[in-house]
Amino acid sequence: MLDLSNSKKTGMACLFIYMLSPFALHADFKPTKPIECVVHTGPGGGSDVLARFIAQTVEKENLSPVRFQINNKTGGSGVTAMTYMAEKKGDTHTIAVFTGNWLITPLTRSETKVSVKDMTPIARLVLEPALIAVKSDAPYKTLKDFIEAAKKSPGMLKQSGGSSTSRDNVVRQLLMKSTGSNWTFISFPGGGERISALLGGHVNVMVIEPQEAGEHIRAGSLRVIAQIAEKRLPGFSNIPTLKEAGFNIPNVPQVRGIVMSSGIPVDVISYYENLFYRLSKTATWRKYLEDQQFEDGYQKSAELSYFIDGYTDQMREILKEAGAKVIR
Amino acid sequence: MEILSGLFNGFSIALQPLNLLWCFAGVFLGTVVGIMPGLGPAATIAMLLPLTFGMPPTSGLIMLAGIYYGAKYGGSTTAILLNVPGESASVVTCLDGYQMARNGRAGAALGIAAISSFVAGTVGVLGLMLLAPPLAKIALSFSSPEYFALMILGLAMVVLLAGDSMIKALLAMLFGLWIASMGIDLFTDASRFTFGSAELLDGIDFVVVAIGIFALGEVFANMEMQGGASLLPVPKGMRELLPTMAELKACRFAFFNGSVVGFIIGVLPGAGSTIASFISYGLEKAVSKHPEKFGTGVPEGVAAPEGANNSETGGALVPLLTLGIPGSGTTAILLAAFVLWGLRPGPLMIQDNPELFWGLVASMYVGNVMLLILNLPLIPLFAQILKLREYILYPIIFGISIVGIYTSSSSFFDCWMLSLFGLLGYLMRRLDYPTAPLILGLVLGDSMERALRQSLMMSQGDLSILYHRPIAATLLFISLLLVCLPLFRNFNQWRIRAIEDNG
Repeated sequence: MLDLSNSKKTGMACLFIYMLSPFALHADFKPTKPIECVVHTGPGGGSDVLARFIAQTVEKENLSPVRFQINNKTGGSGVTAMTYMAEKKGDTHTIAVFTGNWLITPLTRSETKVSVKDMTPIARLVLEPALIAVKSDAPYKTLKDFIEAAKKSPGMLKQSGGSSTSRDNVVRQLLMKSTGSNWTFISFPGGGERISALLGGHVNVMVIEPQEAGEHIRAGSLRVIAQIAEKRLPGFSNIPTLKEAGFNIPNVPQVRGIVMSSGIPVDVISYYENLFYRLSKTATWRKYLEDQQFEDGYQKSAELSYFIDGYTDQMREILKEAGAKVIR
Repeated sequence: MEILSGLFNGFSIALQPLNLLWCFAGVFLGTVVGIMPGLGPAATIAMLLPLTFGMPPTSGLIMLAGIYYGAKYGGSTTAILLNVPGESASVVTCLDGYQMARNGRAGAALGIAAISSFVAGTVGVLGLMLLAPPLAKIALSFSSPEYFALMILGLAMVVLLAGDSMIKALLAMLFGLWIASMGIDLFTDASRFTFGSAELLDGIDFVVVAIGIFALGEVFANMEMQGGASLLPVPKGMRELLPTMAELKACRFAFFNGSVVGFIIGVLPGAGSTIASFISYGLEKAVSKHPEKFGTGVPEGVAAPEGANNSETGGALVPLLTLGIPGSGTTAILLAAFVLWGLRPGPLMIQDNPELFWGLVASMYVGNVMLLILNLPLIPLFAQILKLREYILYPIIFGISIVGIYTSSSSFFDCWMLSLFGLLGYLMRRLDYPTAPLILGLVLGDSMERALRQSLMMSQGDLSILYHRPIAATLLFISLLLVCLPLFRNFNQWRIRAIEDNG
C-alpha cells in the first residue's frame, strides 16, 4: 500500500513537473533564428550606427547563439518603425532600438496609432549628452554672455538645429523661458548643414554632439560655452554644465535603448534583459561609449518603464509650453 | 611640391596588391548596385561596414569610396536601355540616353556615359586633390539665400525642358512642387497633405515617382501600340556599339561642363548630384547650337549629366575630408565609418592622417581607370537585352522596377504608389505633357522651400537678404536671363516676320 501510495505520489510529482516543464524549458528561452533589430533611421543614422555596433559586439563577444539582423524601417520620425513593431505582437525574435523621438512623436502627431507604451521595455543603453557651441571668433565666452546678448536684441541671434520638436529646440525653449530672453531657431535637415551654418557665421549658436564638435574645437574653429550633461564630460572638464552655469532647467538627455513588441513572455524579457546587461559590461562596449562620449545609461526593463513614463510627461509639459499642439 | 610628394606617397599605398584588390572589389560592387534600381550605394556601404573593421582604415576607405563612385557609373545602364533610372542621379540621363537607344545608338550612349564618367570622375579627383582646403572654406560662405538662388536657377531650367507647350511644362512642374511639399514640415512640425496616412509622413520618395513615370509610364504607352510597337533596334558590330568620332566631338564641351558643374555643386553640402545633373544638362542645352534636338537623343545630353553626377563624388568628398561635414546620405555613412574605425573626422583629419587622404585620392585615379576598363567591354553584353521581345522585356522592366522599389523601402505602400505614378506617366505621355519638369519640381521643391524659409528667418522676414548677397544675386540674375530667353527668341522671330512682311 505504502509503495503504491508512494508511486502515486511520485506519479503526481511527475505529472506536476511535466505540467511545469513547458515553463521550465521556456525559462531557458534561446533564440533559434536570427534576431531582427528594427531601427527608424536609414543606414548611417544615429540608431542605425548604434544597432550595427551592437550586432557586431554581440557576435564578437559571443553573447548570443544567433546573429542580429538590422532592418531599417525609416519614415515619419519613427512612426513607420513603431507601427511595424506593433504588427509584430508577441514576436520573440524582433527587437527595436528606440530613441527620444519614439517617445515625443506620438505626443504631437495624429497619424501615429501606437506609442512606446504599447511596447515592452527591455533595456536603456545610452544617454547622449550635448554641448552648446559658438564660433571661436564670437564675442560670447560663456552661455551667460550669449543670453545677455540675446536679451539686448530679441530675435536677432540665431541657432541652427533640427526639427521643432528636437532636443536642440527644447533646450532653447527652456533657456529662453527661464531667462526671459529670445532668439531665433532655424531648422536644417542634416547635421552637416547645421554645423556649416555655424562655421560659416550664418547662425550664432548650436546644440552639438561632443563627438561632432570635438575636432572643430581641437582645430580652433568652435568654442563650447556650456554642456548639457549631468556631470562634466571627460573631454570637457573646464566647461560648466547648465546647472553649474546657473541655469536651473531640466536636463534633456537624448536616450537610446531596446524595446520589443507587446505580449512578450516574462522569460523572454529576462533573456534579452540579461543579454543587454552582459553587453553593457563588455570592454568593447565601454570603449565605444568612451569614444563616442556617451554616458552609460543602462537600466533594466522595470526601471526603463518608469523612465519612459516620466520622460513622456516631462516632454508633454515642455512641448505645451513651447506652443506645440499636444494631442495625447 | 607638397602635392607631388603626397600623391607619390598615395600611389605607393593605393598600388599595394591588397589595396588594388579592395579598390577593384569596391568599384565592381558599386557598378552592380548602380545598375540595380533601388539598392543604392548608401545601403550597400552600411551593409559592408562591419566587414571593414578588420582592415586598415585606408583599405576600408578605398573600398567604400569605390562603391560610392562606382555606383555612379552603373546608374546610367538601365536608364539608357530601359528608361529605368538606376539611382536618383540618373534621371536626367534617361531624357536623351533612352532616346539614343531608340534610335539604335544604345551602345554609343553607354560608351559616352562611361567615357564622360571617366573624364569627369578624374577631374573630380583632381579638384579634390588640388583645391580641397580652400574650396571647403568658400563653400561655408554659401548659406540659405545662396541655396535658394541655386534652386531657383535649377527651377528656371524648366523653360529648357519644356516641349511644345510652356503651360503644360509649368503645370507639370507645379505638380512636382506639390508632391515635394507632402509630409512633415520641418519648421512647424505640421503634417502636410498626408491625408491622415502614416506612410505619407515622409512624403513620396523621389525614386518611386521617377521610376513610375519614366519606366512604367513608357511601358504602358508602348503596350498600347499593340503589334505596331517597334522594338528598339539592336546595335550590331563594334561600329554600332561604340560612339563615333563625331559624337565624341559633339560632347567636348559637355565633358568639361559636366566635370566643372558637378564638382562645384558637389562641394556644397546642401545640393546633391541630382541637382548637379539637371543644371549641367540645362547649361549644355542653353549653350547648344541645336537646343531643339535635346530630348531626341543627342550624345551631349548624356555626357553632361553623367559627367556631373560623377565629378560630384569628388566634390562631395571635399567637405567630408576637410571639415568632417557630410553633404549627402552616402557621405554621412562614410563619416560614421571614420568614427567606427577610430579616426577623428574634422578639420585636422588630413593633417593627422595624410596617408589616408593621399591613399584615397590615388586609389580614385586607379578606380576610375578600372571602371572604364570594366564598363566598356560590358556594353555589348548589356546591349543584348534589347534583343528581347516585348512580351519578355516589359515584364522584366516591371519586375526590376517593383523589386527595386521594394528593396529600397520594404514597403508595399511604395509599390502601390509606383503603379499610380506609372499610370500618371502614361497619361502624361498620352496628353503630351513633358515629364522632366515634374521631376525637376520634385527634386528642387523641398530644398528650395527650406532655403527660402531659412533665409527669411535669418533676416527677420526681410526679402532683401535674397538679392543683397553677391553670389545669390548673380545666380538669380542668371535665372532671370534663362526665363527671358524664350521671350527674346519669340520677339526675334516676330521681328524677323515683321521685317519680312514689310519687305
